Amino acid sequence: MSSSREKILAAARANKPEETLLPTVPDFGGDASAERFTEVLTGIGGQVIWLDGPEQLQPVLAQLFPESRISASTLFSGTLPVDALTTTEVLADVDLAVLAGEIGVAENGAIWLPEANMMHRALPTITQHLVLVLDHRRIVATMHQAYAQLPSTGGYGAFVAGPSKTADIEQSLVIGAHGARSLVVLLY
Amino acid sequence: MNHATRAAKFIGDADRTTWHDETLWFVRTKRDKAVYAVPEFQDLRELASQIKNHTLSKLDFYLEQFEEQAKRNGVHVHWAADADEHNAIILDIIRQHNATRIVKSKSMLTEECHLNPHLIANGIEVVDTDLGERIIQLRDEAPSHLVLPAIHLKKEDVGETFFQHLGTAKGEVDPQVLTEAARQHLRARFLAAEVAISGVNFAVAETGGIVICTNEGNADLGVNLAHVHIGAMGIEKLIPRLSDLSVFTRLLARSATGQPVTTYTSHYTKPADGKEMHIVIVDNGRTKQLGRPDFRASLKCIRCGACMNTCPVYRRSGGHSYDATVPGPIGSILSPNIDMKKHSSLPFASTLCGSCSDVCPVKIDIHTQLYKWRQVLAEANEIPASKKWSMKLMGRFLTSPRALGIGGKLARHGIKFLPYSLTHARHFNVWAVARELPEPPKQSFHEWYQQQEVK
Repeated sequence: MSSSREKILAAARANKPEETLLPTVPDFGGDASAERFTEVLTGIGGQVIWLDGPEQLQPVLAQLFPESRISASTLFSGTLPVDALTTTEVLADVDLAVLAGEIGVAENGAIWLPEANMMHRALPTITQHLVLVLDHRRIVATMHQAYAQLPSTGGYGAFVAGPSKTADIEQSLVIGAHGARSLVVLLY
Repeated sequence: MNHATRAAKFIGDADRTTWHDETLWFVRTKRDKAVYAVPEFQDLRELASQIKNHTLSKLDFYLEQFEEQAKRNGVHVHWAADADEHNAIILDIIRQHNATRIVKSKSMLTEECHLNPHLIANGIEVVDTDLGERIIQLRDEAPSHLVLPAIHLKKEDVGETFFQHLGTAKGEVDPQVLTEAARQHLRARFLAAEVAISGVNFAVAETGGIVICTNEGNADLGVNLAHVHIGAMGIEKLIPRLSDLSVFTRLLARSATGQPVTTYTSHYTKPADGKEMHIVIVDNGRTKQLGRPDFRASLKCIRCGACMNTCPVYRRSGGHSYDATVPGPIGSILSPNIDMKKHSSLPFASTLCGSCSDVCPVKIDIHTQLYKWRQVLAEANEIPASKKWSMKLMGRFLTSPRALGIGGKLARHGIKFLPYSLTHARHFNVWAVARELPEPPKQSFHEWYQQQEVK
């Protein structure tokens, strides 16, 4: 195995072109408004709702997901206790996960969700519905600004932009492929 | 069989060809709309191109940096010189865990290495979890496009496949219903999987982490439920810095499907507690391509498929006509590097219009490379004798003003007397298949120009 390593590295060394410069990536600026974020996220199948205060969280959720039986959240009590050791069988029954997003990106509607906010790495995709709660002051214009704000990507983390979707059958858009069937972003 | 022969089979169904052409063009127009909305898009293309050029120019350094960081993160790093070694490494990891249930998200590299047949031959069940890939896996077909693997199929085809394999109702063709059936079918596979195999969109040298982009969430669901994650990456997936991702994530989905970004852009850096993460770094001809100055830029490719959606030949000949893992314009410059003889007709499956180069998010000079491959193939005697000799003859004819003058005169006056059966003889004049000869002009440009000077 190590011989292939040496072989590949030697071939790369021998065959690489003359060194060229690594460019600096500028910050292109851009629109970081909650309006832009909302418009883009709505366009890709997400839903944005403003919360007037933290006490509104549960009433809004009750209204949005009246059928929800098993929910998991770090933001309010009385939900399914999920952590990194929760089994697949238990996770498979979650129909609503309510998690805190860290950074919103106005140009594409993406929200950075680090592992620390996920309860379990699989929760954001195995849940039937996903709600991300986001401070509107954490919305940036572009991916450049988003990455600039990330201290690190931790062990695992994802930008999530809208619900799971596919267009693999005749290019017809279907929401709800394998991950969450819907994404609601609650802005405060 | 060459590209033209396989394409002839595809275009035998005119309605389907038209549908295929229009559907891909629709994706191209969606791409344009997304691209024009970003004022700095051309700057981003240039940045992406420079970042990739730089990475290739220090590839050995970044490979070692990546390996060191990944190991520090607790990731097992493996190196595979070719497809066989790649397959052997993955089978070995699976066997070490006595695993038999495997899910796999999109990876063109594992297609290139023919991993699935290898695993199946060794008694391992491997389920492709991307919807398009699952459809073609059930049909035992190869993907026909980089990001739209089942674009050659109609919903009726998918309905029939699901009726046979997933028990949907006969005649069910609603994409919503079919997708839901696949969701239920695959969810059971996700929940049971012991090992998850994934591709890699980007590998970040400074963090040792890999990034996977999907719309369906199938990579995340698979990887995060299974005990073992195996990521397979070609050596060209590297980028130096985390911040470089900002450039590529802005380009990839916009170029591919016209989305502002993929639904999930997932960063895998360390295994979860108690779990295992492996990365297999694969060469399989890539360092050879790096050593070809005319063709090394093809290693900058980020597999968006934009060149396919825009290509007038691809849109009308279908992905399977290329008989290669990566079809379309980019595939036509990658494949001859792997097997020049087998893929010798691909660089000719192009009008050299340059549309592929225009849309390429990392500015690969695709059409120039197609043209250069033709020279290489001619030198290596890998083009048909008829083409070789007719080109030689034509070359001599066109470089002699005297021959051209006489020949032109003969053609202008004589062509109308030639019998149709001769001008349209299939074996001598392939050009005339589906084409009529033009009305010959009364005089040549040369003659006309001389008259102008007299005035």
